[in-house]
Amino acid sequence: MAADRLTSRSVGGSVGGDRTLGWWAGSSLRPIIYGILIVGALVQVYPIFFLLMNTLKTDTQILNTPFSLPTGFSMAPFIDVWTGDRTGMFFGRYFFNSAIVLAATIVLMLAISCLCGYAMARGQFPGNGTLHQALLLSLAVPAHALAIPLYFFVGSLGLRNSLFGLTLVYAALGAPFTIILMRAYFMHMPIELEEAARIDGCGRLGVFLRIVMPISRGPIAGMAIININWIWSELFFSLILMNKADVRTLPLAIALYKPAPMTVETVLALQYAAMALATIPVLILFFLFQRQIASGMTMGAFK
Amino acid sequence: MAGAGDGNRFMRNFRKVLPWYLFITPASLMLLTLMAYPLFDTLRLSLFKWGGLGPQSFIGLKNFSKLFGDEIFWRALGNSFVFAIVVPFFTVSIGLFLGVAISRRMKGWQVYRIAFFIPVMMSGVVVATLWANMFEFNHGLFNTVLRGIGLDALAQNWLGDRNVALISVMLVPIWQSVGFPMIVLLAAIEGIPQDMHDAATMDGVNEWQRIWGLIVPLIKPVLASITMLSIIGAMKVFDIVLVMTKGGPAFSTQVLGYYLFETAFRSGYFGYGSAIAVVMFVVVFAIAYAYVRGVRIESVEY
Repeated sequence: MAADRLTSRSVGGSVGGDRTLGWWAGSSLRPIIYGILIVGALVQVYPIFFLLMNTLKTDTQILNTPFSLPTGFSMAPFIDVWTGDRTGMFFGRYFFNSAIVLAATIVLMLAISCLCGYAMARGQFPGNGTLHQALLLSLAVPAHALAIPLYFFVGSLGLRNSLFGLTLVYAALGAPFTIILMRAYFMHMPIELEEAARIDGCGRLGVFLRIVMPISRGPIAGMAIININWIWSELFFSLILMNKADVRTLPLAIALYKPAPMTVETVLALQYAAMALATIPVLILFFLFQRQIASGMTMGAFK
Repeated sequence: MAGAGDGNRFMRNFRKVLPWYLFITPASLMLLTLMAYPLFDTLRLSLFKWGGLGPQSFIGLKNFSKLFGDEIFWRALGNSFVFAIVVPFFTVSIGLFLGVAISRRMKGWQVYRIAFFIPVMMSGVVVATLWANMFEFNHGLFNTVLRGIGLDALAQNWLGDRNVALISVMLVPIWQSVGFPMIVLLAAIEGIPQDMHDAATMDGVNEWQRIWGLIVPLIKPVLASITMLSIIGAMKVFDIVLVMTKGGPAFSTQVLGYYLFETAFRSGYFGYGSAIAVVMFVVVFAIAYAYVRGVRIESVEY
């Protein structure tokens, strides 16, 4: 994929020729630009550091000495929010709700999108062009514009307050983009292997499952990675569809959790611990898949 | 498949295309029921008065005429436009600056790339909650710092003052998402072949000319697409407003997405809410359409 090629360059670090030499050499602007970069990087990172540090501080410390570092490490605030003993909010449960919806959405969305994208790339059938046009148009539809009928429709199916209902909605919202990108990928995939399998008597579905899917693992993983981010963070539909406490997703629970500072006790740290719970998996994912995330995000914008 | 044996042309064709139709069925069914139908139903509902239960009464365009006389709606629309102009302007221009600097391998470029990208990965709710805490009047980080260095006069009621709240709220998506244009523009800049840089060097251009004469013109299509994505993203802002201000104070941070949510799901005016949804749809669709017509995405091959 074009985008893949583009970013792998940046990561590979094949810095040729004059790249670093000419940069404002000797110019008085140079220190200013470095200043902006360094201050900017601090502004970006400090709030996240602040978040993580506050999970380990008492309310007094958070409110009165915001820059102080925690005196020691303790898992207590994490255990407290996870079990819900002191907060009445069972973040361990919300974490699992989010994880289940995330995994189910990714699987469902990728399954239907790969099938559909493959058919659109390889098949000649009436309606193919129309389908492609419709998918492109659907990218310009804000999800808010669907919310009211979806709320009643999902309700009429009895799927309000159901993780499965939320999964269906997310899979539908993410599908058009995924189908379009998978279609583009399949169109550029060499067809010879598939033709050989066809001659050997393999049916369309057999070719798809045994040949196409295995060799497309890379792009499929890429699509999974770029969708993980928004599904893990989604608030709007979770807020509308999940009214019962035990089916809340993590972002919804965090949005609803408003502890009042008690100063003498450790209340605020629990809120920060809940936020860290949502953030730490994302940070781990980021450091594991930095390159794929960057190229995935880029892929989307190049289309 | 009953006619499998006969040589009938129609059946042969049918057997040929049938597998493809089966392949697209799951996705098509889902998109028809969960996207196409809701979209049309939003359009239909916008012509009705409906409280969610009981009969829906047809009132023609009354929802819209009421909407156009609704002061809060105009505030929301105006604020959404302010969002859609200010936030993309800063994220894309800062992103371009960062992309250029990193592509030129300024010292520490790996660190800047990671530092600016991490917030992009975080969930909007977490970011908004974190910033709401930092903006807090009595004990928030900003006011503590300002008071600490003796600038008490500058300490603001960041989210509670109607003249400041919108600016405070807009800072958050800018902070969170500068890394996105950065990473995309960086990829585009890295895609410019080295020999074009070499040719420019041979011509003796300075860095300023290299940026505006070589880099920016070559990445223009990507720049346009990332700008449009940012504008549409800003038009749809919701999480941040819900967490930080709930549209207040005095509607100074009310935006379309949140007003729609309040009208329909808090107050139960589902017909009126649908009319807001229609306006939102039209605005976002128009922006996307203008982009497609205006820019005519040519795939750039160097």
